[in-house]
Amino acid sequence: MSAAVEIRNLSYTYPGLRQPALAGISFNVASDECVGVLGPNGAGKSTLLLHLNGLLPQAPPRQPSIWIAGQPLTAETLDSIRQRVGLLFQDPDDQLISATVFEDVAFGPRQLGVDGGDLKLWVEECLGMVGLPGFGGRESHRLSHGEKRRVCLAGVLACKPAVLVLDEPTSDMDPRGRREFKGLLQSLPGAKLIATHDLELVVDLCSRILLLDAGRLVAEGPTAELLSNEALMLAHGLEKPHSLLHRHPHAAAR
Amino acid sequence: MHLEETKLSRHKPLQGVPPRIKLAVTLAIVTGTVLIERRPSVLYCIPAGILLLLWPFARMPIGYALRRLLMAEFFIVGIALLTLLRPSSAPIFIAVFIKSNLCVLAMLLLSWTTPFHDILGELRRLRLPSVMLTTLALMYRYLPVLLEETRRMQRARASRTFSRHRRLAWHSVSAIVGQLFVRSADRAERIYLAMCARGWK
Amino acid sequence: MAFTLTDLRSCASGVIMHLPDGFLDAKTALLSSGAAVAGVGVALRQMRASLPPRQMPMLGLAAAFVFAAEMLNFPVAGGTSGHLVGGVLTAVLLGPSAAVIVMTCVLMVQCLMFGDGGLLSLGANVFNMGIVSVCGGYFVFRLAKKVMRLDETRGTIFAAAFAGWCGTVLASISCAGQIALSGSAPWGLVFPAMANVHMLIGVGEGLATGLIVLAVLRRRPELVAADRENSGENRVGYAAYGLLLCIGLAVFVGPFACPWPDGLEQVARTLGFEGQAAATGPRAPLADYRVPFAGSAALATAIAGVIGTVAAFIAAWVLARALVPGLGTAKKDAPRGD
Repeated sequence: MSAAVEIRNLSYTYPGLRQPALAGISFNVASDECVGVLGPNGAGKSTLLLHLNGLLPQAPPRQPSIWIAGQPLTAETLDSIRQRVGLLFQDPDDQLISATVFEDVAFGPRQLGVDGGDLKLWVEECLGMVGLPGFGGRESHRLSHGEKRRVCLAGVLACKPAVLVLDEPTSDMDPRGRREFKGLLQSLPGAKLIATHDLELVVDLCSRILLLDAGRLVAEGPTAELLSNEALMLAHGLEKPHSLLHRHPHAAAR
Repeated sequence: MHLEETKLSRHKPLQGVPPRIKLAVTLAIVTGTVLIERRPSVLYCIPAGILLLLWPFARMPIGYALRRLLMAEFFIVGIALLTLLRPSSAPIFIAVFIKSNLCVLAMLLLSWTTPFHDILGELRRLRLPSVMLTTLALMYRYLPVLLEETRRMQRARASRTFSRHRRLAWHSVSAIVGQLFVRSADRAERIYLAMCARGWK
Repeated sequence: MAFTLTDLRSCASGVIMHLPDGFLDAKTALLSSGAAVAGVGVALRQMRASLPPRQMPMLGLAAAFVFAAEMLNFPVAGGTSGHLVGGVLTAVLLGPSAAVIVMTCVLMVQCLMFGDGGLLSLGANVFNMGIVSVCGGYFVFRLAKKVMRLDETRGTIFAAAFAGWCGTVLASISCAGQIALSGSAPWGLVFPAMANVHMLIGVGEGLATGLIVLAVLRRRPELVAADRENSGENRVGYAAYGLLLCIGLAVFVGPFACPWPDGLEQVARTLGFEGQAAATGPRAPLADYRVPFAGSAALATAIAGVIGTVAAFIAAWVLARALVPGLGTAKKDAPRGD
C-alpha cells in the first residue's frame, strides 16, 4: 500500500527572499500514522504544511515533489489532492469565514456539489464528530476559542480528507481544552501530520517526529527516542518535554 | 456594540415572518412617511400608529430604542436646523423632525427583528452582485474580530500613555488604525488561503 | 465579548453627512440613487476586470476595517471628538473602485442594521460619501501628487491629507445641493452652512488620512495601492468616474451654483418688472423674504472655499514635511549594501 504522504526533495524559496524556506525535504507518512513536525520558529513548518495542500507554490511545479496516496501533486491533480488533504489553520478566525456554524461547515461540501437534505446530514455528522452536535445555528462570532477550533476541524472533516494536516492545533488553549482536543484527534482515523510547539501533545499522539530547522530536515525518528535526545532538542531550539524527564513525577514509562 | 444589543433578544421575535415581508413593510412605511407633505399633519399618525402596533410583536426594549433614537437625533437635528434658515419654516422643521424619527424607528424595528443573515439572503434574492454580497458577509463576520483587535491595541497603548496631549492622542489613534489595516490585509491573505484549502475558486 | 455603547458625547462633531430620511424629496432621492447605482456599476465593472481573486477577501476585511476605524475617537476640543469617514483613506489604500464598493457596503450596513442614514436616502449617502468623496478625493490625490513632485513618501502623505480635506468638502457640497434641490432649505444658506462647517471638519479628516497613510507606509508600503502606478484602474474607468462626478455635481449643484440669477432678480425688481415677479405666485413669499445678502453668502462661501483650498494645500505640504524626515537624514541612515 502506498504511503499516505510522500515527499521527495522538496525545496522552496519565497519570492523576493534569498534564504530558502525549505531545502531538500524528504519523508513519508503511512496511512493511519500520526507524525509530529517540530522545530523552532521560522524553521519552515507552516511553509511545509501549505505545500501539502497545494497552496504553495503559487504555480504548481511541473516536476512533482509531493505524492498523496500515490498521486503526484501537479497542476492537473491539484483540485483532487486539495480535497484529500485537510488543512487546519492556526488561527480559527482565519478559517471560520461564515456567519453561522452550519454555513461554514457546509462550505467545503458545497464545493463538492452536495446540497439539500444530504448537506444537512453531512454537516450534522461532522459536527457530531467534533463533539458539537446541534451547533449549526450558532453564530460564529459568539463561539469560544475552543469551539471555533472545533468548528474549523468539522469544516475540514466535511471535505472527507484522507490526510489531516494541523498547524499548531493547541496553541492558545487552556489545559482542559488541550486535553479534550487531544482526545478528539485520537479518535479520528487516517494519517495525521501535526506541526506544533506542544511537546506533550506530540508525546501523547505522535509515533514519529520530523525535526525541522532552517528549512532542513535535521532529524527523523520515533517520538520518545528523538525527544529524549536532550542535546538534539536544545541544539534546534527545543527542549526535552517534562513527561520524559526521568526526575519528573509525571514521567510515563515509555 | 450594536451587534451585541441586536442579538440580545433570544426569543427571536417575528421570526416566522419571512424577511422579504419585513423589508417590504419597512420600505412601505418609510416611503409613505416620506411622501407625506412637509407640514405637521394628521397623516403622520398612520405610520406612527402602525409602528406602535408592531412594537409589542417585535418586543424591542424601550430603553434600547430610546438610546438609538437619541444617537440618531444628532444627525436629524443637525440637518433639520438647516431648514430653519428660512424664516417661518418652523412647520417644516417639525414635519421633517417627525418624518426622520418615524423612519429611524421603522429601521430600528427592522434591524431588531431581522438578523443580518436574513437581510443578506434577501439582497441575494434581489440579485445584488456577488462581489458586494461576499464583501457584506465577510464584513459582518469580521467586524467583531477587528473591534476586539482595536480594543486590545488601544489598551496596550493606554497602558503606556501618561500624558493627555492631543497630538499624542492623534498619533496613537492613527498608528492603531494603520496597524489595524496591516493586520486586516494579512488576515485577508490567510482567509484567502483557508478558503482555497477548502476548494474555493 | 462585551462591547460598550459609544456615548453620545463622542458622536458630537462627527461628519454631518449621513442624511436621514425625510430631507430629500422623491425626485432628488431618485436622481441620487440613480447616480449611486451608476457609480457602483462602474466600480463593479472595474473590479471584475482588474481584481485578482486573491484580493476578494480584502474587500470584506477593508469594509470591516473602515467600520471599526470610524468608531475610534480623534479628540478635537473639550470633551468632543471627531470620527473618520474614511472614503479618501480607503481610495488611497485600495484604489478608487475597491473603495467605492467598500464604502457602499459600509453605508448599507450602517443604514440597514443601525439606522444611521435613511433607507430612501441611502442612494444620496452612497453618492456623497461613497462616490464624490472617494473618486473626487482620489482624483485630487493623483493630481496633487503629480503636481508637487515630492519624493515618494512625502508626496503620498501630502496628497492624501489634501485629498482627504477636498473629499470631505466636495461631499458636503453635493449633500447641500441635494437638500436644496429638495426644497428643504434654500441653497443660499445651506451651501454656506454645510461647506463652511465641513471645511473645518475636513481638516480633521485630512489630517487623520495623512497620519494613517503614513502609519501604513512605515510598516508595509506595498499595501498602499495608490502608490502603485498600475493599480489596475484603466483610463475608461477614470473617465466614467469623472463624467459621473460632473453630471452629479451639475444636477445637484448646478442649478444653484451661479449667483447671478439672484442678482438678476434683484435688478429686475428695482427696474420695475415687479408685475412679472408677482405672477410667480408661490415664490412670492420667498422672494419677499430673500435675505439681501443670501446670494452673496453663497458667493462668499465660494471665495472662502478657494482660500480654504489653498490653505489646505499648504497645510498638507507642511504636514508631510513635518512627518517625513528630510532626504538628507535618510541617506545617512541608508543600510550599506551587502
